[in-house]
Amino acid sequence: TKWAATRPTFPATELALHNFDTSYSIQLRDLWPSIRVAMLSEQKYGALINSFSSAPNVITELEAQGCKDFISIDCTRNEVHQSSLDSMTSHRDSAELDPAALQPSMSPDIKCLVFPKGDISRFNPARPDSSGILGYYLLDAASVLPVLALDVQPGHTVLDLCAAPGGKTLALLQTHSVNHLWANDLSGSRTMRLRRTLQSYLPKEFLEENKIHITSTDGRQLGMTEEKSFERVLVDVPCTTDRHSAMVEENNIFKRSRTKERQKLPLLQTQLLLAGIQATRGGGNIVYSTCSLSQLQNECVVQQAISLAQQELGITVQVQDLRWFAQCFSDTFHFAPQLSVGELVLPHLCANFGPIYMCKLQRMN
Amino acid sequence: GEPHQVNPSHGGQVTHRPGNQLSLCSLLEMGFSETQAKEMHEGATKSRGKHVPSVMTALLLLGLNPSSILKIMQKCPEVYSLKGADLQQRIDHLRKMGLVEGSLQRMISHYPKIMLLPVKRVNMVSRLLREKCLFTIHQVTEILRDSPEVLEEDLAQLEYKFQYAYFRMGVRQPEMVKAKLFRLPLSELRCRHCFLERRGLYQTPDKKGQTLILNPALKDVLCVSEETYLTQVAMATAEEFHVFRKLMAREQEEKGREDEYSSDE
Ligand SMILES: C[S@@+](CC[C@H](N)C(=O)[O-])C[C@H]1O[C@@H](n2cnc3c(N)ncnc32)[C@H](O)[C@@H]1O
Repeated sequence: TKWAATRPTFPATELALHNFDTSYSIQLRDLWPSIRVAMLSEQKYGALINSFSSAPNVITELEAQGCKDFISIDCTRNEVHQSSLDSMTSHRDSAELDPAALQPSMSPDIKCLVFPKGDISRFNPARPDSSGILGYYLLDAASVLPVLALDVQPGHTVLDLCAAPGGKTLALLQTHSVNHLWANDLSGSRTMRLRRTLQSYLPKEFLEENKIHITSTDGRQLGMTEEKSFERVLVDVPCTTDRHSAMVEENNIFKRSRTKERQKLPLLQTQLLLAGIQATRGGGNIVYSTCSLSQLQNECVVQQAISLAQQELGITVQVQDLRWFAQCFSDTFHFAPQLSVGELVLPHLCANFGPIYMCKLQRMN
Repeated sequence: GEPHQVNPSHGGQVTHRPGNQLSLCSLLEMGFSETQAKEMHEGATKSRGKHVPSVMTALLLLGLNPSSILKIMQKCPEVYSLKGADLQQRIDHLRKMGLVEGSLQRMISHYPKIMLLPVKRVNMVSRLLREKCLFTIHQVTEILRDSPEVLEEDLAQLEYKFQYAYFRMGVRQPEMVKAKLFRLPLSELRCRHCFLERRGLYQTPDKKGQTLILNPALKDVLCVSEETYLTQVAMATAEEFHVFRKLMAREQEEKGREDEYSSDE
């Protein structure tokens, strides 16, 4: 007991920072200080436009404040040329690249407005239209990227494996291509939040049309029960939520009492991704995403899941190159240079979004 | 409807007044050139100083030459309105505070406002520096010499700046003096420090005074241009620091508002 009394108690945010300093200064080297100061300073948001709202002039009003839809702007400005793709492939070992994966295509109709680089203005809370549907949803603008990368096309059946509180679910629905969406989250209370989010953003009729299926089960089981059921699967896993862990004491995964849970994250993440792969139809796509910088939770999980899918489930998956995608949005976000798999948005004071990691996979059989 | 000032080109007509008024002739006698004398005279008339000759005498006695006196008066015309005896008392007091010849003159030329501050004010600040911040007498002299601005600062703010450097940054008095800490506004000190801290390049020492990393010396953080600070110490871009400054200002403003609310309750 003497021990316990004299042992210094550190706030979890400090433990988190210490942990990050140790691992990220090695992983990210001289990029780390800039990321660190950004994560410890106010983050930037984006306004995901809700096309279901009939509130007038939502976009014009935001634009009058100086915001711009980063998706349409970046995509037209940074048109991806075949030549630049060729030069990119020659740089990297392209043996496992599917040439078709280089055909740029992303989920349509999503609009997300952001303030320009270096502008620290904040958004006003969204206003409801006459039937109470809110005009936009505020989120980390980088978290729209995994949804864009998923490339949902008309008629697709989509699974959102870890969906609460529902930012990405809402972005998925903006595409209007989704034929059927299954949104799942293990946590009952968080699933309630997801439900409430959708109620504030979608007309009642839409929710009643049976287009959306909301469940609260362990996503790891859906791989077996819903095998080969979806064209698109989003696996937005629980992670160390780096920005939150460095800033907010409450509910912090770096608390000593949650050490075990934290250490098991890469395992849980691998299992969830495997389940996502299993639930995907042949030829379908999976996007794995986290809001952590950790190699162990990002690239390592993807690589581990790919080999386990092959060995234990006999499923071949291929990594889809997203360099064209990162290049496309490089005016808005800071991407990490050259990851072994996937793309990573690095927080930076001038564009303080992320961290968001994403990796796109295709199920081959 | 005040009477308008005399046209300077005809200034000579009103100078031959006895007593405490300043005459062009006497300025010429003191060694001012004709143009200097005219300018001085104009300034004196404008500010309606009643004891200008005795002020001039005190400044000349300090060993300042006419052109530096003119510069002082241009920088701080309020000096015209002082009484020579008060000014002399203040100068004597600064000498007693340990400001030796040379640095006294330099300080007055660089920061003439110091002549406007009553002895009481100077004493209050130096007492605060000695008693609340535990600087030695010698260190106080150095602080006054390097950053006379300190004399004008709000006392609570001054103490807070010291405490920030002492407790938050873990810096001791000799290093503060060397870094000319009091030259910088608190906001700038906080910006440069927090920027380093959030980048992982500065740590508050623990109770034993230890840190896991080697903190840069305070003078390398404060006594350099922003460019040097960014390239040599923070290893960051000007854009980042520019945005950080804006964010810090907002953070502080909001924190201030929060503190206000909580103290209202
Ligand atoms: C990063 S959050 C998802 C954020 C969400 N996609 C969004 O954009 O708003 C991860 C979620 O995974 C859920 N989760 C944790 N373990 C799970 C499991 N075994 N199966 C399904 N969901 C799980 C957590 O409750 C948490 O809500």
